[in-house]
Amino acid sequence: MSARFQRREALRNRALLLPSALLLLVFVIYPAGVAVWTSLTNEAMTGPGALNPRFVGLGNYRRLLADGSFWSSLAVTFWFVLGSAVIGQFVLGLLSAILLQRPFTGRMLLNAIILMPNAVPEVVAAFIWASMLAAGDYGTLNNVVAWFGVEPQRWLTTFPLTMIIVVNTWRGIGFAMILMTSGLAAIPSDLYEAARMDGANRWQRFRRITLPLLVPTVFLYLLVSTVSTIAIFGLIFALTRGGPAGATEIIGIYIYNQSFNSYQLGYGSAVAVVALLISLGVGLLYVRALKVDV
Amino acid sequence: MSAPGDASAGDGAARAGLLALIALYCAAPFLWLALAAFDPDARLFLQWPETVSFSNFRRAFVEEDGLLWLLNSLVVCGLATLLVAVLAGFGGYALSRTRARWKRPFLYSIILIRVIPPTALIVPLYKVMLTANLSVNAAVRAVLPSDWVRPAMRMVGFIDGYLGLILLLATLQLPLALWIMKTFFDAIPREFEEAAIMDGAGFGKRLRRVLLPLAMPGLAASGLFAFIACWGDFLLPLTFISSPELRMLPLGLYSAFMRSDQVDYGLLAAIAVVYTLPAILAFALARRLLVQTFSGGLKG
Repeated sequence: MSARFQRREALRNRALLLPSALLLLVFVIYPAGVAVWTSLTNEAMTGPGALNPRFVGLGNYRRLLADGSFWSSLAVTFWFVLGSAVIGQFVLGLLSAILLQRPFTGRMLLNAIILMPNAVPEVVAAFIWASMLAAGDYGTLNNVVAWFGVEPQRWLTTFPLTMIIVVNTWRGIGFAMILMTSGLAAIPSDLYEAARMDGANRWQRFRRITLPLLVPTVFLYLLVSTVSTIAIFGLIFALTRGGPAGATEIIGIYIYNQSFNSYQLGYGSAVAVVALLISLGVGLLYVRALKVDV
Repeated sequence: MSAPGDASAGDGAARAGLLALIALYCAAPFLWLALAAFDPDARLFLQWPETVSFSNFRRAFVEEDGLLWLLNSLVVCGLATLLVAVLAGFGGYALSRTRARWKRPFLYSIILIRVIPPTALIVPLYKVMLTANLSVNAAVRAVLPSDWVRPAMRMVGFIDGYLGLILLLATLQLPLALWIMKTFFDAIPREFEEAAIMDGAGFGKRLRRVLLPLAMPGLAASGLFAFIACWGDFLLPLTFISSPELRMLPLGLYSAFMRSDQVDYGLLAAIAVVYTLPAILAFALARRLLVQTFSGGLKG
């Protein structure tokens, strides 16, 4: 290949990537920069900050550190991610993957049933569960717990955070199951044979072979699901709007409420920058874990 | 020969019981949706319908704007998906073939961009869209007669218009799609192209004869994932669309639920079924590709 040809190919490659790069620049990188800038001003949609936003330095961040509602939103986000992505989806997904490993009749059907919730749009999931968790004597979950002699509950009022964890766990078991299934399938079966010869029981085989060899898959899964769980919006917005009294206000909902309901754009942006930094932190771990090979 | 601690009858029962519980957890919530959609007298509570009919669907499509919402969703998500497939096809090819210095930084950046939650960008995005909308509005006013401006802005506007929403939805799906296509082209040997180059084929011919046919499975994968994400998105239509004429299924559904008077649960369930079916279809097609994409990222 001649040098001229190579130069032309290089130019063409740049031209092919340009539209994508431009879109990402305009709709992601630039807005992220604007968020950082806005977070240093007192910009608001109403009041003095609306006419003439002023540079306030780290004022918004000082306010944020002293703001109980910010810390409570961060805590809600943490428990939501831990409860639904790390514990609920992962444990039930791994369990399903192990239970469905061996062939039997109805295996494909069970597989499809466990995967179904993954396909449901967030808003639809919210309505389905609004019915499940409805308060009063006729609510579906109330009917179920009545068999065990439990009084009817107002689920979304009394246990709001637990309930959104239950709902979000429901949405993600299938995804975890698929990835864990592929992780399990990649473990060579002669390892199990050898362990069996040595008299290892099933729990020992799980502890000493399955778990250690599954670690890379689990790690990547946790990073991906953490990031996507932080980004959840429609599900909680349609189900509780972050209420009651901020009990389900994960950081995305908090940003939205601060910006579009309280019209505090500067303050909302400071929260957004914190969310951005947390996600980027997870993202950097992800980059390292992927060992990007170019 | 079975070692102690291996499968026994009690063990099998425990496994079956656990699986049944998980399956019940996953399937039970759908029961209400399935029954309520065909029950003319549906409530928020689970109940066995006394009569089964399609009247909820008829109402959703004839009396309400269900058909409009469905078409709007299909148009917006369809165009966004097409845009993602085209841009990621070209971009992924370039990323795979280039040896330039910006290659590694670019790949790192798209992974980092992928993890940014859209809610964190929503306020500055609103500003960007507002600015873009003003310029587009000025341009449209300059070219079109005044009574055409509003309908035109619905198509090419950035606030309460489709062009902005489509570009934005597509951009947010680009990082994953670029990644998929880059990995995909990495697996296609250069020799295929080099043979065509030796025959004197230009890039256009190489594209049509060699690259496009080979890239089809990759384009299908990135397109499917983009479609699923656009179809399920609630934040962007909520923030950027306000005209009832432009409303899409997620907001149509939400508005039916937020009605101040009596909520019509049968209607709601029927719209939810219409909204969910394409998502399930797309997911069923994409399912096989899920692991490949994930482990494709795993190997880089």
